[in-house]
Amino acid sequence: MSRRESVGTVAAMDVAALESEALSAIASAPTLGALDDARVRYLGRKSELKQALRGVRDRESGLALNTARERIESAVAEREHELRSAALQDALSAEALDVTVSLPGDEVHLGTLHPTTLTRRVVEDAFLGLGYEVIEDREVETTYYNFDQLAFPPAHPTRSPRDTFFLDEERVLRTETSPSQIHVMEAKPPPIYMVSLGRVYRRDEITPTRFPIFHQFEGLAVDRHLTLADLKGTLLHVMRALYGEERQVRFRTHFFPFTEPSIEPDVSCPICELAGCRTCKFTGWIEMGGAGMVDPQVFENVGIDPTEWSGFAFGCGIERAAQLRHGIPEIRPFWENDLRVLRQF
Amino acid sequence: MKVPLSWLRDYVPLDMPVEQLADRLAVSTAVVAAIDRRGVPDVDGNLDLFRVGRVVEAGKHPNADRLQLCHVDVGESEPYQIVCGAWNFGTGATVAVALPGATLPGGLTLERRKLRGEISEGMILSERELELGPDHTGILVLDRGEPGTPLSDLLPLQEIVLDLEITGNRPDLLSVYGVAREVAVGFRLELSPPPGRDPEPAGSERVDVAVEDLDGCPRYVGRLFRDVRIGPSPLWLRARLTAAGMRPISNVVDVTNYVMLDLGNPLHAFDFDALGGERIVVRRARPGEELRTLDGAVRQLDSCDLMIADAERSVALAGIMGGEETEVTESTTNVLLEAANFEPSGLWRTSERLRLRTEGSNRWEKGVDPYLAETAAVLGTELIVDLTGARWVGHTDVKGDLPRRPVVSYRPEYASTSMGLEVDPVEQYDILARLGLEREDGMQTVPTWRARDLTREVDLVEEVARFKLEDVPFTLPVRREMTGRLSHEQRLRRRIEDTLAALGLSEVCTPSLAREDADPEALRLPEPISVELAVLRTSLLPNLIETARRNLEVGNERIALFEIARVYLPRGADLPDERVRVAGVTEGGFARVKAVVEALQRTLKAPARYERGAHALLHPGKTAVIEAGILGELHPTVLEGQWGGFELDLVALADAAEEPVQYADVITYPAVRQDLAFVVPLDVSAGALAEVAREAAGPELRELQTFDVYRGAPIRADRKSIAFRVEFQSPERTLSDEDAARLRQRIVDALAERFDAELRG
Repeated sequence: MSRRESVGTVAAMDVAALESEALSAIASAPTLGALDDARVRYLGRKSELKQALRGVRDRESGLALNTARERIESAVAEREHELRSAALQDALSAEALDVTVSLPGDEVHLGTLHPTTLTRRVVEDAFLGLGYEVIEDREVETTYYNFDQLAFPPAHPTRSPRDTFFLDEERVLRTETSPSQIHVMEAKPPPIYMVSLGRVYRRDEITPTRFPIFHQFEGLAVDRHLTLADLKGTLLHVMRALYGEERQVRFRTHFFPFTEPSIEPDVSCPICELAGCRTCKFTGWIEMGGAGMVDPQVFENVGIDPTEWSGFAFGCGIERAAQLRHGIPEIRPFWENDLRVLRQF
Repeated sequence: MKVPLSWLRDYVPLDMPVEQLADRLAVSTAVVAAIDRRGVPDVDGNLDLFRVGRVVEAGKHPNADRLQLCHVDVGESEPYQIVCGAWNFGTGATVAVALPGATLPGGLTLERRKLRGEISEGMILSERELELGPDHTGILVLDRGEPGTPLSDLLPLQEIVLDLEITGNRPDLLSVYGVAREVAVGFRLELSPPPGRDPEPAGSERVDVAVEDLDGCPRYVGRLFRDVRIGPSPLWLRARLTAAGMRPISNVVDVTNYVMLDLGNPLHAFDFDALGGERIVVRRARPGEELRTLDGAVRQLDSCDLMIADAERSVALAGIMGGEETEVTESTTNVLLEAANFEPSGLWRTSERLRLRTEGSNRWEKGVDPYLAETAAVLGTELIVDLTGARWVGHTDVKGDLPRRPVVSYRPEYASTSMGLEVDPVEQYDILARLGLEREDGMQTVPTWRARDLTREVDLVEEVARFKLEDVPFTLPVRREMTGRLSHEQRLRRRIEDTLAALGLSEVCTPSLAREDADPEALRLPEPISVELAVLRTSLLPNLIETARRNLEVGNERIALFEIARVYLPRGADLPDERVRVAGVTEGGFARVKAVVEALQRTLKAPARYERGAHALLHPGKTAVIEAGILGELHPTVLEGQWGGFELDLVALADAAEEPVQYADVITYPAVRQDLAFVVPLDVSAGALAEVAREAAGPELRELQTFDVYRGAPIRADRKSIAFRVEFQSPERTLSDEDAARLRQRIVDALAERFDAELRG
């Protein structure tokens, strides 16, 4: 009888009603605490269900009870997830800020790079992409490397102490980065593709638009069959890297002792787009430096056979490029180093 | 070189817009610095308001002593009443008149208005008001013209001047005729023959010229003129000189300048009667000789200086400037005209030494064609005879061996190859021919005016290329070898720049030259342009400190700066040792600057050993040296407040940097952490303890950080406590407690032995 009795107990218990009651209590539990109370009541050790399970004897009742238990357990888990999500949503809502208010964020004091460095890196990267090596070279030079090897004629004005800083008869502050061309050509046989960056010195009076020290980049390519067209293409690439893909580049004849033919690249003025404005002195174009095919005399000076090899070289001012890129009207800010200016970059 | 277009039209028929002319010249020939539109503005009918007038009546203004009241026939039914301030004319004079409504050069628009109670209808003009010359002492009196005739029929009221920047290799372009030749090539126009025709000689007097130095003066054409009447030049000549940027002086002087501008050969005119012995000697200066030049300065001469002398003394610095005593003046009646040629480099040295550069020397130092002297003499003669009524009575031409015209082989296919542009040989030959080269077989004979510049095939290629430049395509080299990459140091330099910026330091760029340097041997410029830029620096810190100070003065906050640049360490007469340094100055004291330097070391994986150091700009007790350089708190006398500074050698940092970083297993076997505090005598430094501890414990001591330094009770007054956090770890096994104890004991023993250090309990 005891068996029947126990079966009867289970049977006496309306499993369906219990489950329905439990599910409703769980679904309506307003808090995690209330949910936990409901869980203890319906699934705890002393709960009706657990007691019934302990007393179960036949497979059918057990199955029914376990199914009910699983449903209740999953309802508890589901409700818990609901309640936790709601709590998180509430917390997040409570923490919400008006992100459009222009109050400062937590302050991290960042420094800045000088505009010369920013431009220098653009130049370096443009040439690295073309497969050039980047070099730096000495700034105090001999007249031999600064003038003679570059085929400056004896009466060239740059040889005058009025234009150039002489330390003594034989030592000068280099007037352009070109001596590094000679150093590289003396050091290794062609082919050579290199760009040299650094400070150069000219005896200019200090004005808002001039300073006797500035930075230059200077490139040299020596290979078989290099042409004027290759020089134009290379400079076009670099000018567009510096000033944007939409820039036009034109070339003018010029004269440098170490190149023949010599040319100067101009870029179309980014301010007025060729219409003429103050920045371009109403010409629509801005002078960007000097260039040309390496003069055979220079090759002979360093022992490279000009009938086998040809080359081109070019040089441009970095401050000038930075001025144009950033719209800096004068040279003065580059050397003043006022943090109010530097922190813009 | 300022080139008035009306002058250029003497030699080439120009009909293109000036902008097109300027663009073409800029590409092929020379930078056009400016297009200067001079004279009367050509806006709706303005030119019609400038007329020839005849003064029908002139008298004193009733209410003003200095003014004239004139009635001027300007071709209208009634004369115009005009008030005028000048008195150099009277009734009957033919004058230039601007009517009411006319806009003058410079922009002033005239109105009918009352002047001292009398109506004035327009203005009687001076040459300066028309921008035809500098004269403003009186109005312009014309020698012809009927009343009412447009003034533009008689006078060049408008002028466009191209301002060209001529490069040093092209002295032939320092002349209107030379520029005309370029225009003729660029636009395929006919070029007129050069100007000048000798008049009939009016005598055959001997002109006594002796050239003692034919190297310095390869040619000297001397021409003698008698009965010269010095006076102002005619208006056309004054107007041309003015437009070309030169000041008219007197007819003879103006002719010398005109010929120089027209042809490129500077001339000089001497007062023949002031020449001792009626003789010219071209020679080097004598020891101790001096000369008062036209600018009034007394020049001490050097035996290298080439002089024009008479029988007794020097009378001119050859090619640079004449002397005052033989200058042509109003009373001159006999003139010796010099059309010479001077060699560039000697003349350049003299002009350099005397710091004297003139229109003439600027041409000579670039190398003027010696064959040009005669052409220039001819044009000068024609003009002097024509303008001064002089008689040309004598001629001489002294010359040495004049250079031959270079003959150069030329291959059009080579030109095409090196340009990267196929140009028809016919077109190439045409360009060269228009430039004056003569072709025979495969050879080109260069004209005398380009003999210095065009000596090789590649020079001729340039001549063709500059007229084809716009057609040359844009290509990139075809390459077999490409090796471009940043070096180790260049990559580290970028990392350093980025790290310092991230740490709050802003990069600056300060001059390599300073007012002073701590190193007395530092290289000094003998002739600096300012006292601030006089010495090549051996340290970056002084300029950085100065920059910090200036930022402080303008009220900037959170000042922290760095710079990467070279210093120049003297090595006697050799080139200096140039080192690339990274230096910084930052607000905050020693701890702040050490944090910055340590961060650099961490990012570079370049550990360093700190030792006590000394530096004139740094606090004596708060200065440390590491292998790469120095860091410390700025000396309080250097800059107000607490500051840190550092200066490190970039190459030393790069050398110390571990690259690529080698992996260590720090996960598999856990580390054992311990804190160890030692009581040591006061003079023992944490750095020294750490070094000995590392040595004693060996590689299983992975980390050792100082975290506390303490003085005071209960520690004896002559001692201090230094506490370290250590981490023991092995890549091969888990360290046991015994292992850790053993390592610790090694440290304790070593420190006790070396520094009398006691482990605190």
